[in-house]
Amino acid sequence: MSEPADGKLAINYETCTGCGLCVLACPVDVIRMDAATAKPAIAYPRDCQVCYLCEDDCPTHSISLSHDISNSRRYSTYDEFGLDITWPK
Amino acid sequence: MEGRAGMDILETDVLIIGGGFAGCWAALRAADLKATVTLVDKAYVSRSGASTMSGGITTCPLDSDDLDIWAEEFVVRGGYMCDQRWTYQLLERQRERIKDYIRWGVPISRNADGSIRRFASRGMVNVRGMQYQPKVAMRELRRQITARGARILDRLFVTELLTADGEWPTRTGIAGAVGFDVYTGRFVVIKAKRTIVSTGMIAMKGTHRVDNDCGDGAAMAFRAGGRLVDMEFTFGGTFNVLMKKFDFPSYNVAVAHGARLINARGERFMQQYDPQRLERSELSHVVAAFAKEIIDGRGPVYVDLRHVDDSYWSDIAKLHRGGSILLTDHVPDPKSNPLPIEPTWGLWASGRSGLQIDLGARTNLCGLLAAGSVAKNDATGTHASAGSPTAFCKVSGWHAGETAATESRQSQHPVISRDVLMMLQEQALAPLHRTPTRKTADDLHDDLARLEASVVNGMILNADKLTRMLDTTEAVLDAGRASRASDLHDLVKLHEARNVATCSGVVYRCALDRTESREQFFREDFPLADPTWFCWHGATLAADGKVVFDRQGFPTEGIRFAPQLPDAGGLGPIGAIVRGEHEALVHA
Ligand SMILES: Cc1cc2nc3c(=O)[nH]c(=O)nc-3n(C[C@H](O)[C@H](O)[C@H](O)COP(=O)(O)OP(=O)(O)OC[C@H]3O[C@@H](n4cnc5c(N)ncnc54)[C@H](O)[C@@H]3O)c2cc1C
Ligand code: SF4
Ligand code: SF4
Repeated sequence: MSEPADGKLAINYETCTGCGLCVLACPVDVIRMDAATAKPAIAYPRDCQVCYLCEDDCPTHSISLSHDISNSRRYSTYDEFGLDITWPK
Repeated sequence: MEGRAGMDILETDVLIIGGGFAGCWAALRAADLKATVTLVDKAYVSRSGASTMSGGITTCPLDSDDLDIWAEEFVVRGGYMCDQRWTYQLLERQRERIKDYIRWGVPISRNADGSIRRFASRGMVNVRGMQYQPKVAMRELRRQITARGARILDRLFVTELLTADGEWPTRTGIAGAVGFDVYTGRFVVIKAKRTIVSTGMIAMKGTHRVDNDCGDGAAMAFRAGGRLVDMEFTFGGTFNVLMKKFDFPSYNVAVAHGARLINARGERFMQQYDPQRLERSELSHVVAAFAKEIIDGRGPVYVDLRHVDDSYWSDIAKLHRGGSILLTDHVPDPKSNPLPIEPTWGLWASGRSGLQIDLGARTNLCGLLAAGSVAKNDATGTHASAGSPTAFCKVSGWHAGETAATESRQSQHPVISRDVLMMLQEQALAPLHRTPTRKTADDLHDDLARLEASVVNGMILNADKLTRMLDTTEAVLDAGRASRASDLHDLVKLHEARNVATCSGVVYRCALDRTESREQFFREDFPLADPTWFCWHGATLAADGKVVFDRQGFPTEGIRFAPQLPDAGGLGPIGAIVRGEHEALVHA
């Protein structure tokens, strides 16, 4: 079921300039500007769809994504049929 | 304009809901024709929707191409279930839109001599596509729209269409829309002389990495009396899950470069099912073949990228800066290892279903137009080849903008009563003030997504299954009426759950009504094609809350390609594949 994406998306606040481009980029409103720190905050990690738009648009390369389908409501046919997915050598 | 406390009231000639390719081209055209234009999006126009996320293949007719050959392939592969005038309009106008991309400097993949590199689109033999960079195209569209003085309202979630008579369904027509600012919660009324819905695909959240496309526009239009057609053809899928957990970047792009699918025995199984087009066959055929391989114990299925051409690796590197999962060390080197892949199967419209529009992009409702993947693509019928969805977005958007701007010159804003606006505001924001309930918005999306959990199960439908699926959508609608939204972000998701449930409910009802099988739609209790279903299948909401179905024949006057219909009583392609009777398909 939908899983929290905590840890799958990270912002490096050392290099982040607070330009806000990642906030604009996120289609599903995961990232919000934190008024107190003037830096982006990962407000709704569960909804991250790992689309890379924020990572692509960040001018300082401060965002990293772990690639796992974090919010996945997808189900694997291989689990349903109990199939091992390793390529037979 | 500032209205009553807590409400902004704006006026515009043309309102466009949803800023993907379709909405942006509509805005561009309407602004060129000097209409006042307001384009709204729940996210940020140019960084949202399927358009931004798409693989970047688009149908590419050039001046030197004989369009008759292209049109014929679209019409025939779409089972003649289209409006052939739309097919020609699509191809002729797409030529012009490609010239716009070239003029704006959108990067397009080229041959060594500088000509556009074209290839046979997935699903087709004669029709050619090209590869460009969709994110750059979207950014350029935003620039072009802004330069023309159109107003863009980002992060505005539209909850309902405004009807001229304050009735849903309406007897008079559409007069704009209402919604709220996702950051501030401010309720916004936009009165418009013409409204264009371009809210994208009808899909579930969490299956395609385009979580904004939940069928909002189709659901809103349906509640207002809009006619949806061929909703049972919404079922579709693509191969997008790698190693059970990663997102596979664009199947269409991969197979255009020579990617293969192999089963656990190393066999290129599509040779069995479609020896001519192989992995480039209709996606529904490839997904059905996948299901058959799994059922018969030859799974898993692997994508084999050992034979792709070099340009594949450079094309996917350009799709985003991280360069796709295939270029990282999260997966075994795809240049030497086949990787397990699987498809989704469920709500995935891409033009095979949706709001029906005429050649000017008008819907059945006065004042309402539609464009892009929320609309039925009558140029290609039941078949969406790689590249035709985005071509349709451009062309239907262009026509919607043109019609809306022209018609708005002769119309006035209707007067909407204060009570109606208050009622809409209450409906939009009420979940914020409810007490916590058992089901959250996330739970509702989970319940809905579970309906498309199994690809194998989901392809093979029957009345029992569909009735159970329909019950779930009804339960979600019921639970949603009591659910609390913890904040504005959650409120968006709650409205989205209602819209997904509304659209999927219509899909399952239409599927129950259709007592035959054809194209990608397969019912094991009605496995054969029935010629009386060679028609558009409409669904409209009546005033008493019932769904009314209709059937309309395709245009026959002046059409170029006379329908060659499949044999009455023939097994549809999905049925043939899953029952192992696909020999007939191979030789068809
Ligand atoms: C991963 C992927 C790859 C694809 N690859 C290709 C390809 O290579 N070639 C091809 O031709 N087609 C491809 N398609 C299909 C194609 O991308 C779509 O058909 C097309 O982009 C749809 O454009 P659109 O303008 O209709 O909708 P979208 O681009 O989805 O835009 C809809 C917009 O409406 C907004 N919206 C929705 N609801 C609301 C609301 N309630 N209030 C306010 N705003 C709202 C959304 O935020 C979104 O920005 C692909 C699709 C996907 C998902
Ligand atoms: S990867 Fe996409 S969904 Fe996730 S935070 Fe970035 S932009 Fe948002
Ligand atoms: S785009 Fe990058 S630099 Fe700008 S606010 Fe986001 S993380 Fe910081």
